[in-house]
Amino acid sequence: MKTRKLLERLADFLDADKAAQQAEIKSIRKVLKKLKEKERNLREKLNEETDPDQLGAIAAKLDVVHAQRRKGLERVRAIRKGAEPIRDGD
Amino acid sequence: MPKPSRLLLPAALILLAYGFWNSAEFTRIAAGIAVFLFGMMALEEGFKAFTGGTLESLLRATTDRLWKSIGFGIVTTTLMQSSSLVSLITISFLSAGMIGLGAGIGIIIGSNLGTTSGAWLIAGLGLKVDISAYAMPLLVFGVIGLLQQSKPLKGAGYGLIGLGFLFLGIHYMKEGFEAFGSSFDLSAYAVPGYPGLFLFALIGLIVTVIMQSSHATLVLTITALAAGQITYENALALAIGANMGTTITALIGAVSANVEGRRLAAAHFIFNVTTGVVAIALIHPLRWVVDELAILLGIAAQDYMLKLALFHTLFNLLGLLLITPFVDRLVGFLERVVQVVPAAAEQPRYLNPSALEVPAAAVEAVRREVEHLYENAFGLIAHGLSLRRHVIRSEQPLASAVETTRRIMPLDVDDIYEDKIKGLHSAIIEFISQAQSRELPAAAADELYALRRASRAIVEAVKGMKHLHKNLSRYGLSANPAIRRQYDDLRLRTAGVLREIETLRAQPPDAVTMLSLDDVKLGLEKFDRHLNATLDELIRQRRITAKVATSLMNDGGYVHEIGRNLIDMAQIVFVPRTPDRQIAQQLALDEKDIERVLGDEHR
Repeated sequence: MKTRKLLERLADFLDADKAAQQAEIKSIRKVLKKLKEKERNLREKLNEETDPDQLGAIAAKLDVVHAQRRKGLERVRAIRKGAEPIRDGD
Repeated sequence: MPKPSRLLLPAALILLAYGFWNSAEFTRIAAGIAVFLFGMMALEEGFKAFTGGTLESLLRATTDRLWKSIGFGIVTTTLMQSSSLVSLITISFLSAGMIGLGAGIGIIIGSNLGTTSGAWLIAGLGLKVDISAYAMPLLVFGVIGLLQQSKPLKGAGYGLIGLGFLFLGIHYMKEGFEAFGSSFDLSAYAVPGYPGLFLFALIGLIVTVIMQSSHATLVLTITALAAGQITYENALALAIGANMGTTITALIGAVSANVEGRRLAAAHFIFNVTTGVVAIALIHPLRWVVDELAILLGIAAQDYMLKLALFHTLFNLLGLLLITPFVDRLVGFLERVVQVVPAAAEQPRYLNPSALEVPAAAVEAVRREVEHLYENAFGLIAHGLSLRRHVIRSEQPLASAVETTRRIMPLDVDDIYEDKIKGLHSAIIEFISQAQSRELPAAAADELYALRRASRAIVEAVKGMKHLHKNLSRYGLSANPAIRRQYDDLRLRTAGVLREIETLRAQPPDAVTMLSLDDVKLGLEKFDRHLNATLDELIRQRRITAKVATSLMNDGGYVHEIGRNLIDMAQIVFVPRTPDRQIAQQLALDEKDIERVLGDEHR
């Protein structure tokens, strides 16, 4: 068992692609967590706000955050499926 | 009649050729100096390979306090054996606004002390062993490093070659002076007392200005002293002169620098001249201290080379102790005395050629300059909307500020564009081109490309404002309430984008902050659709003419253009290039996503 575990770890270490995918998923989940908190704060504000213009603005922000979270989850699913290559950035 | 300055080089070459013809010893000494100087250049080249991200983070972490800046100057100069490289990097980061003037002065003070380590190395080691034996393997390994593809290995190669040539240069100078001594006794021309002090200090200053290296002058002095060609007294004076001469090089270099670079060069001059004057005034007490310290450190009474190194360290340390308590006052003095010369057209603040030496400094200089360009554009757009900048930046409701506008601010957009926008944008583009012509890491090249897009986006936003302002001036305070209302909405929407960007600037630069720009994008799309629907309704109700409606549609387009360009700019300039930014770019809503959100809203 010990040997097999060692070999698995070695395989993971050598598999740079997999490591990069895991790192990307971890980064996205970090941002998704912050977005979830932002969404929670906006919902609280929405419950407390009475001004119709402000209510509209908060509702719009909620829609945006919701869409961003949805996009983030789709991205994580895509990486896990291996359907999408790792993006380097700009 | 040719200018005297143009005759200098040919005259120097002829004199040197004459010297080479007549004296083999002179040839050896001159070759030693040339090889030494080449070694210093190679060493500098080697260290440049390692500057950038590492140095930048180190600088930021170690220059928030004066004592840390001084320490940074001492350590880096000791390691690099080049105060000119440290000065260059300091001016580079200062020009880019990455460090303040106080920190820069601290680094220069520290660098002066760090440079004295060279004298110790040469006096303590260089002249006591066969230094050329160490040079050869260094040269071999250095060339092997140079032939590698990897940048760090190439840099290491340059470093080793630099060290090797440094050692060879010292060896040739040493041999040259020893051979020289057998046929000519320079020490017979020694001048004792204060006349000798002033004369040799002046010689040291002139030689340093010619060779542009106080290190080289010191090596020359130590090797001449070792061969008995100059007296200990005159060698001390040469060391003082070399210290002062090094500032002339900095002053000459500062002529083309920005105001911060000139202030630093002035500080360098003040520090070194003060140190030199104090050293000359206190020469005898200092000599006494050197003699006493030499006994404590176990330096032989006749070991004048090591005592010279000790003197060099001591008088620089004295200068450090004298000036350090007054650095803040020096900064205040320099900021009052060395001022920006106002120009008719806005000049770049950060695009100093010295910033090109270090990729990280070049990128930061461009980023700050684009931010500077944005500040100017912000002012122009705010005035174009007939709103004050401080109102947009405040918490005051924009709707009431817009509704209560009684006067359209006069604005010559073309004039301001020429003065404050076009020149800066051109300077940014030119600077980026120069930076990209040098070898840059991929990340720096990408960032410069993005910043060029950001600069262009600002210019496009300003051009949009130029078009918008034409009709704003005409219809902005229209007696027709329907028209007034529409133009108020256009002003409000544009001011809203500016305010959102200001809010973003005040927040921590992370992925969530960047993603908040999507709110602004959605707002712009909604506004665009709402405007078209509203205009259709107003035409049907005959509250506005079709002609005015067309103007409003065009102006709505300009508002959209201004907003999108400012958002694109903000995503690049105000969100630093971190892994967070890359993730944010993946999650940011594109046009399809925004369509989807708007579609979901209507269900």
